[in-house]
Amino acid sequence: MTDLLRRLARSPQGAIGGVIVVFVFLLAAFGPWLAPADPEAFNYTARFEGPGASFLLGTDQFGRDLFSRMLSGAPATIFMAVLSTLLGTLLGAFIGTASAYLGGRADEVIMRVVDAVMAIPSLLFALLIVTALGASSVNAFIAIGIAFAPGMSRVARSVALTVRKQDYVNAAIARGERASYIIAREMMPNVVAPIVVEATIRVAFAVMLLATLSFLGLGAQPPSAEWGLMVSESRDYLFRNPWMMIWPGLAIAMVAIGFNLLGDGLRDALNPKT
Amino acid sequence: MSDTPDNAVPVLDIAGYTLDYLMPTGTLRALEEIDLTIARGEVMGLVGESGSGKSTLAFAIMRDLAGNAREQAGTIRLSGTDLRGLSTGEFARFRGRRIGMVFQDPGTALNPTMTLGTQVAETLVRHHGLDWRAAWKRGTGMLERVGLKTPAAMMARYPHEVSGGEKQRVAIATAFACQPECILFDEPTTALDIITARSILDLFRELQAETGVASLYISHDLALVSEIAHRVAVIHRGRIVEEEPADEVFRAPREDYTKQLIASVPRPDRPLTPPLADATGETPLLLELDGVGISYGRPSILKRLFGRSERVVGARDVSFAVRPGEILGLVGESGSGKSTIARALVGLNAFSGQVRFAGRTVAGPRDMDAGYRRNVQIIFQHPDSSLNPRQRVEEILARSLILAGTRDRREIAATIGRLLEDVALPVDFRRRFPHQLSGGEKQRVAIARAFASRPRLVICDEITSALDVSIQAQIVRLLLDLRERYGTAYLFITHDLNLVRQIAHRLVVMYRGDVVETAPVETIATVAAHAYTRELLGAVPTPVG
Amino acid sequence: MSLLYLVKRTGYILFTLLIVSVLVFFITQALPADAAQMLLGENATEDALAAVRERLGLDEPIPVQFWAWFSGLLAGDFGISLRTGLPVADMMFPALARSLLLAGFALLVLIVVAIPMGVLAALRRGKATDVGVSLLSYVGVSLPEFVTATLAVLVLASPEVGLFPSTGYVPLTEDFWDGLHHLALPVLTVSVILIAHVSRMVRSELVDVLHTDYIRAARLKGLSRRRVLWRHAVPNALLPTVTVIALDIGYLLGGIIVVEEIFAFPGIGRQLIVAIESRDLPAIQAGALIMAATYALANFLADLTYALLDRRIQYD
Repeated sequence: MTDLLRRLARSPQGAIGGVIVVFVFLLAAFGPWLAPADPEAFNYTARFEGPGASFLLGTDQFGRDLFSRMLSGAPATIFMAVLSTLLGTLLGAFIGTASAYLGGRADEVIMRVVDAVMAIPSLLFALLIVTALGASSVNAFIAIGIAFAPGMSRVARSVALTVRKQDYVNAAIARGERASYIIAREMMPNVVAPIVVEATIRVAFAVMLLATLSFLGLGAQPPSAEWGLMVSESRDYLFRNPWMMIWPGLAIAMVAIGFNLLGDGLRDALNPKT
Repeated sequence: MSDTPDNAVPVLDIAGYTLDYLMPTGTLRALEEIDLTIARGEVMGLVGESGSGKSTLAFAIMRDLAGNAREQAGTIRLSGTDLRGLSTGEFARFRGRRIGMVFQDPGTALNPTMTLGTQVAETLVRHHGLDWRAAWKRGTGMLERVGLKTPAAMMARYPHEVSGGEKQRVAIATAFACQPECILFDEPTTALDIITARSILDLFRELQAETGVASLYISHDLALVSEIAHRVAVIHRGRIVEEEPADEVFRAPREDYTKQLIASVPRPDRPLTPPLADATGETPLLLELDGVGISYGRPSILKRLFGRSERVVGARDVSFAVRPGEILGLVGESGSGKSTIARALVGLNAFSGQVRFAGRTVAGPRDMDAGYRRNVQIIFQHPDSSLNPRQRVEEILARSLILAGTRDRREIAATIGRLLEDVALPVDFRRRFPHQLSGGEKQRVAIARAFASRPRLVICDEITSALDVSIQAQIVRLLLDLRERYGTAYLFITHDLNLVRQIAHRLVVMYRGDVVETAPVETIATVAAHAYTRELLGAVPTPVG
Repeated sequence: MSLLYLVKRTGYILFTLLIVSVLVFFITQALPADAAQMLLGENATEDALAAVRERLGLDEPIPVQFWAWFSGLLAGDFGISLRTGLPVADMMFPALARSLLLAGFALLVLIVVAIPMGVLAALRRGKATDVGVSLLSYVGVSLPEFVTATLAVLVLASPEVGLFPSTGYVPLTEDFWDGLHHLALPVLTVSVILIAHVSRMVRSELVDVLHTDYIRAARLKGLSRRRVLWRHAVPNALLPTVTVIALDIGYLLGGIIVVEEIFAFPGIGRQLIVAIESRDLPAIQAGALIMAATYALANFLADLTYALLDRRIQYD
């Protein structure tokens, strides 16, 4: 583990991404407690304020403190994104590995169906699911998880197939190992790394998708301070107080950049040959 | 080749050339004080193992060095002009026109998305100022000159549509197209099958004699180089350690390194294995294959609908036997089915026909019980792929022991130590990961793994072909030692005829899925019945002197 | 490229559409909405509702309803919008045409900008230009469309600057320049992520290609730098990019939904959002299906292009 961290820190992507992601997780974990003001407290004497001494990042149309709202909205965006990626990764890894393991006709049929499902753009797929389940952040999480599964299963399958062809797996079969040992000890350690890399990069995508759903009114609902929703609410007052849009927009971009960088850094760090 | 070149004025003259690479850890000397001259009409052989600097020298001459290369001293003159003094722009006019190069693997050295014709003709357009029509015509003539049967059709083809040998002929045609003074050949036959390689060598000799081009022929294969070069230079760790007329290298090597290298070159006339104690067939056979066939592929519904449902045949009707303690060589070119047989014998392919091991019939992978698997082990060609990159050496070795029923941790640890000793590796290598080992060391670990269960038969599938000759010699010696000690039989699969004739008792020759010849090693050269075997034996370069 | 290959690919497309229609139908079936109630409004009598349900076949078992809907699709009948009472096809296809215009311009911008960017970065590998392009692309792939769009409006369409209109659509046939003017911000917004993604792809592919033997061989034949780069290296680097662009079209279609909503662009994405908001079942189904079909077709075309460009692939 410490070895991995050291290798990660060697590449600029890994180092910067790692720092951003740790910061983001801290923000999500402790943000709501750090908020200096009640994120939902109206303040009609101080509406549309810019950044300043009394309100660090300014205020919105109800005079709510943007800094406090940003902090209290952090977990909604970040944890949900991580969880939905996890859901999608687990679903996808299961489908993909099973398909690779079954092989033959079954593999072909499963992958054709997966390809067909992937013809529906992720956002549209998530939109449809959320529409069916009803707009809420929990449903958005489920929708993104399901929408990610086909893509992840493709990745998992292709990694599993590559590993399956390696001679160390052949050697294990030749010496008569049980299938469970081959999968658990010979294949899994080599399959997990590329999937972790892919999943990390997808967290960035999930953050963006989740925020987009909220933006469209299909995710988190007011008065939540989910960042996508904050951008959505800012649109009517864009020219009166652009900060209402800039802060949450920046925050979403920063989280996504962090996970993108970390994913690329992990890709290098997890390669056993470098 | 013994006739000396007529002209003594050097075409290529390298003097005191020294090159360093800047590494994160400091500088690495890649070439030191290289002196080398090649006259018109002369072939200079440059022999070295991987990492010796032989390719670096070629790219230094071609002025195509990596960004971290630093030239410290020396000159590289082509007919008097110091190439180091030329600007990139000036030298671009030399490349291809006055000095050319042929690469090792024609499969990667030709652009996959351009026709062969374009790739031949573009050099003529560039250097001889021809228009495309004239260049195309001249190019077609060149393809005919290098022995391609339908040159006009060949010009219009893409690299993937022709064979490896044909690709290399195209590459040679391109190099000769502008009639350069000097051509560098970087292992031009290494990626080819034996018989194809022989025809490319013949072509090289013919064109070289005809054009009198000064040639630097780079190879790891001392036997081959001594056969086609006038003089041979041996390069080791960036220094030319010895330079001799070709026919004297084998007869009278001066330097220790050259002696050691020559000792490593497999020679069929010097067998390394004592004859089998009981060659008469009194003892029961260990392994028998009787009419074994293997085919791959599962025709899809659509393909069957379109009437293209033939399965790929890997091997058909293969029969041979291995006696206890025998080394049976299985030879053939790529695609002959020799590895297919190996995979079938360890349960990686289903097969038809009959296999008997120690008298017991094995009808398919399901019949291979723990006893069979313990007794029949396989070692693969590439240790990089056959050792799990995420397992330490001890975990890799322990598995075979656990499968064989050893449960006691201390006993396993002790046995791993003994196994590592057996393959002459330090015992503390047990804690290492495969990527912390060299190629030869990795292959030793793979051998240790195969011997962990004390097998009676070990299948060696091209296990030395990715290694340098000196490492190969060590690995072969190790295998022979282990056989001496444990009486193990080997099914030794290789395309290296010299090597297998040196160590095997009998040879089985395969060609396109069929066994065409089975004969004792001592007599195969004289009594080979099949035309293919004779052709194969005739194509192998044998050490001169 | 053989007939067999074409038959196979056409089969895949039909299969894809079948799967997508099953999915879309069953997901939308779960919608908490009563189509009859929507048609007749709050005050409808039970009898009237029942009559409508019977007419629409809503009381039939689900598989029967699916078959009725699906066979209608095959005949080109997408149903009647519950919101407007008009045939869904008449709403969706003109909207699709406008969206394709938007997507087409975005692809054009993508190709014109991303490929040179990637080539430049690969050639200046490790230098400031490369790092700059790389940073830009990290930022690019990390900005969701709605953020880019609001930023673009804030910067380029504010009352003070007013370079571009922030909403609306003018057909190019009506007023070409005004039409382009209206397209500018939507096209810019959907292109950003794709440019970032594709330029990274081009860069890494080209870096790989520049290290191959055949590029070295071309260089050592003494060919000009320009010929080595543009004739030997770039075409080989762009081959995989064709596939990436095709896959990105799926992403582009998703982006279009958001962008059309923000810029009030009357394309299929906006139709879909309106349909979702008003629970207009036939319109949702048709919109989703048309989008998936567009994507499947785009991929098919990309594969054909690839097959024409890369002669190595044997389609059998």
